Amino acid sequence: MSSTRWPFPSRLLPGINAAVSRRVRLWARRRQGADGPVTELRSRRIYILPTGVGLVYALMTFAMLLGSMNYNNNLSFVLTFILIGIGFVAMHQCQRNLVGLEVSFAGTEPVFAGQSVQFRIAVANRSKSPRHRIRLYLDDLQSDIKDLEPGDSGIFTLPVTAERRGRVTLERFGIRTLFPFELFRSWAWLHMYPKGIVYPRPAENAPPPPATQTALGHRQHDARGEEDFAGLRKFHSGDSPRNVAWKAYARTDQLLSKQYAGADMSSQWFDFDAIPVEDPERRLSILTRWIIDADRTREDYGLRLPGRSFPPAHGEAHRRKCLEALALFGLEDADG
Amino acid sequence: MARARGTDGSLLASLPWTLLALAFALLPHVPYLPVWITAALLGCAIWRYSIEVRRKPVPPTLLRAALALGCFLGVLYTYSTVSGVGPGSALLAIMAALKLLETRQRRDQFVLLFIAIFLVMSSLLREQYLWSLPYLVIGVILIMTAWLKTAADDAEPLRRSLGTGSRLVMYAAPLAVAMWIFFPRIATPFWAVPIDTGTAITGLSDTISPGDISKLSKSDAVAFRVNFEGRVPEPKDRYWRGLVLHRFDGRTWAGIPEPRIASGALKNIETRGAPVSYEVMLEPTRQHWVFALDIPYHWELENTFLGPQHQLARVQPIDQRTAYRAVSYPDYRIDLELHPYRRNWYLELPEGRNARTAELARSMRAAAASDERFIAAVLTKFNEEEYHYTLEPPPLGSDPVDRFLFETRRGFCEHYASAFAVMMRAAGIPARVVIGYQGGELNPMGNYMIVRQADAHAWTEVWLQGEGWRRVDPTAAVAPERVDAGRTGAMFDGSAAAWGLGAPSRLLHNLVLTWDAMNAKWNEWILGYGPENQERFMAWLGMDDPDWRRMLLTLVAIVTALTMLISLVLMLRYRPPRKDRAAILYGRFIRRSGLKPATGESPQAFASRVQGETALPAATVRSITDAYLDARYGPPDPGVLHRLESHIAAL
Repeated sequence: MSSTRWPFPSRLLPGINAAVSRRVRLWARRRQGADGPVTELRSRRIYILPTGVGLVYALMTFAMLLGSMNYNNNLSFVLTFILIGIGFVAMHQCQRNLVGLEVSFAGTEPVFAGQSVQFRIAVANRSKSPRHRIRLYLDDLQSDIKDLEPGDSGIFTLPVTAERRGRVTLERFGIRTLFPFELFRSWAWLHMYPKGIVYPRPAENAPPPPATQTALGHRQHDARGEEDFAGLRKFHSGDSPRNVAWKAYARTDQLLSKQYAGADMSSQWFDFDAIPVEDPERRLSILTRWIIDADRTREDYGLRLPGRSFPPAHGEAHRRKCLEALALFGLEDADG
Repeated sequence: MARARGTDGSLLASLPWTLLALAFALLPHVPYLPVWITAALLGCAIWRYSIEVRRKPVPPTLLRAALALGCFLGVLYTYSTVSGVGPGSALLAIMAALKLLETRQRRDQFVLLFIAIFLVMSSLLREQYLWSLPYLVIGVILIMTAWLKTAADDAEPLRRSLGTGSRLVMYAAPLAVAMWIFFPRIATPFWAVPIDTGTAITGLSDTISPGDISKLSKSDAVAFRVNFEGRVPEPKDRYWRGLVLHRFDGRTWAGIPEPRIASGALKNIETRGAPVSYEVMLEPTRQHWVFALDIPYHWELENTFLGPQHQLARVQPIDQRTAYRAVSYPDYRIDLELHPYRRNWYLELPEGRNARTAELARSMRAAAASDERFIAAVLTKFNEEEYHYTLEPPPLGSDPVDRFLFETRRGFCEHYASAFAVMMRAAGIPARVVIGYQGGELNPMGNYMIVRQADAHAWTEVWLQGEGWRRVDPTAAVAPERVDAGRTGAMFDGSAAAWGLGAPSRLLHNLVLTWDAMNAKWNEWILGYGPENQERFMAWLGMDDPDWRRMLLTLVAIVTALTMLISLVLMLRYRPPRKDRAAILYGRFIRRSGLKPATGESPQAFASRVQGETALPAATVRSITDAYLDARYGPPDPGVLHRLESHIAAL
């Protein structure tokens, strides 16, 4: 399934091709307006053009028509007209394969800058017949191809590489199909503006985090600290499986985490203003690295940003809150 | 390099279908193709499939190029040309074989399927039988299924691909029929390309030697079919004039080339009595001769002229089945005057050949009082002496007429016609040989006449002062039943009965006649749907003054309407499922309540909200909700819907 972009051989006239493609896209955006979070594909926003194979097919049927006329051969007329009829039918079938599908945004997972955001888009088939060979795309980027049974919906993933922290928006994406014969490509553009979060890129060779300030005055990394067993508490996601009280689990069927006196007491503050680095982005990167490391070792940590602070804690929710604050720090929608 | 040629088994789902479609498309070509080409394609198919199964690389480029060159030279060597249907289909088969060996991607298979389509098309150019239509329909379904398989997911079940393929072909069928009926047919081709079908056609040739026609007598192939308008001529008048031969070299009779302009021969025909009108559907002969009942007077066929010897011929050879109307006068006189120069044509005999025959003729003429008497005497000689009419005459030597008349005395119509003409010329009477067909069988199933190759016949014409050319059929003197009953009748009343096969053969013969009647209708209405038939059909449909513009407009209108219909069918196919009865009834309850269920609100939660916020009776609301939930999620029970309905009615 190589070049499935535009019917013109894109290798031939790449510049013109891209420009035409862009103009048409912008025209469609103006025409359609922005889409809601759940959008049903109506027929007037579905476009269709022949593919390269389709053009060859058209050329072939035309040659066959000339041949049939020349030889006045009624059976080859039959063959030619069946093939032309199939071309017509294929065109309608191809477009109908998209009409009525329901497209909605199904979320993303936050990633670090440099990784790609996986935009998940759900496509639901609310009709009585299966939909075949559906694929989502964004420029050259393509999702898997899926068949959707009646009443089913499929999740398509579009990975968008994020270079910078902050919110990343999927400005547009397309849904298309070549079904049934790859003679035609029908597609629709969607502008749902789904957003994803990109955390700052974790700094490489970051300076060590500031010393832990604890009531007992010893550092978190004291191996002895884990031996001071203090009791059990309910398991939170993010707790290390090493600390799960498996025996208690076998007894009570409840996941419990062992709590250690040393760990519980320690807390460190990661302070944006205390990092002796000029570049604020670099500071954010360093903070990101510290948070990741602290989270990995299940230490408590607090985050202090100018104007905001998160008291020491640990766990998945705390980590996400902190990283999100770093991701959006200084950006206009920091609170959003 | 080896990596680029590797296969990964990704074609395993679609390749068998592509191969099947190719094989089916090739099937009708097999009898015409040299064996090595069929073997090459079969071998390549098996080879390629096993490569895919074992995930081996496809053969290297150099090997493929060598194979391509070898195969191309092979085709050139076999056919010594690359144009025409024969070599064309051979090349297509070779291309398919070689393309198979370099097919690695799914999309490469599209090329193979395009080749399969062209193979089907070229087989239709070669021959169009009754079974050709099912062949092409099945071929299209197979090709389109393979196409779907190529484009679809590997895991897609076959039933679905075949189902989708047939469904789409079915949608396309009415479009195809409409286009077929209304697409304007044109009479003359854009460019004349001879269709070389690679096989000899049985039929009359331009010359005649002893044994030529008796060879044909075993062929049941149809020469032409005739629909008479009104009167059907008597068996004795069913002489279908073909070509006239006057040059004799002692063994072979030959004529003049076919006329290319009007000769004025029509002026020399004096007609009497009532004419016979008929339409002939002539099978392809690749000759120029156009057969018509003696003697043709009107004919409707372009570029067709009557030669000076009153034989009809078309400038272009009859390469396709051709239909024409003609009017003939069974009672006629031609060429009352014979130019002395022409007269010499018809008297010439080669020096020193068939000397005994000439001697006999001269003595018989001397003994007879007149030319008329002489002719009668010769015919009586054939009739009364030991002469036999046989399908398998013994071979004749260098003076075939002498040998036939005096020694073997066994012959077919060409022997008698030839001997008779030689005797006439030797006695100074202008004579010529006419070949064509004699007889024809009326098919009661279709009410038309079948003239077969076996009806091929040779007779003579002699020129008599004051009378012109008179037809004399010496065969009739030897075997009168040949002319009276026709060859087929003679065969069935005589030989078949002698074999004790009378009744079953008759039954079989009736089946053959029924089959022929179907073929005749097929030829007339499907294969023969040309400009004239189309115009007639349009007129029948009520289109006044049908020309190609009107037909094209109608075609566009019908195709547009059908396309909208298909679009509608597809829309219905892809519509959301209908709400069930329970949902409709529950919707009535929701409207009655005046509230709106929130997204995700359960029927129970909604019910308690209704009970809290509206004055509707709480018990009924509960029963409605229970009944609705039962209808929705409970076991199937028709009573529950009634309950739901009556509760809602109670509100």
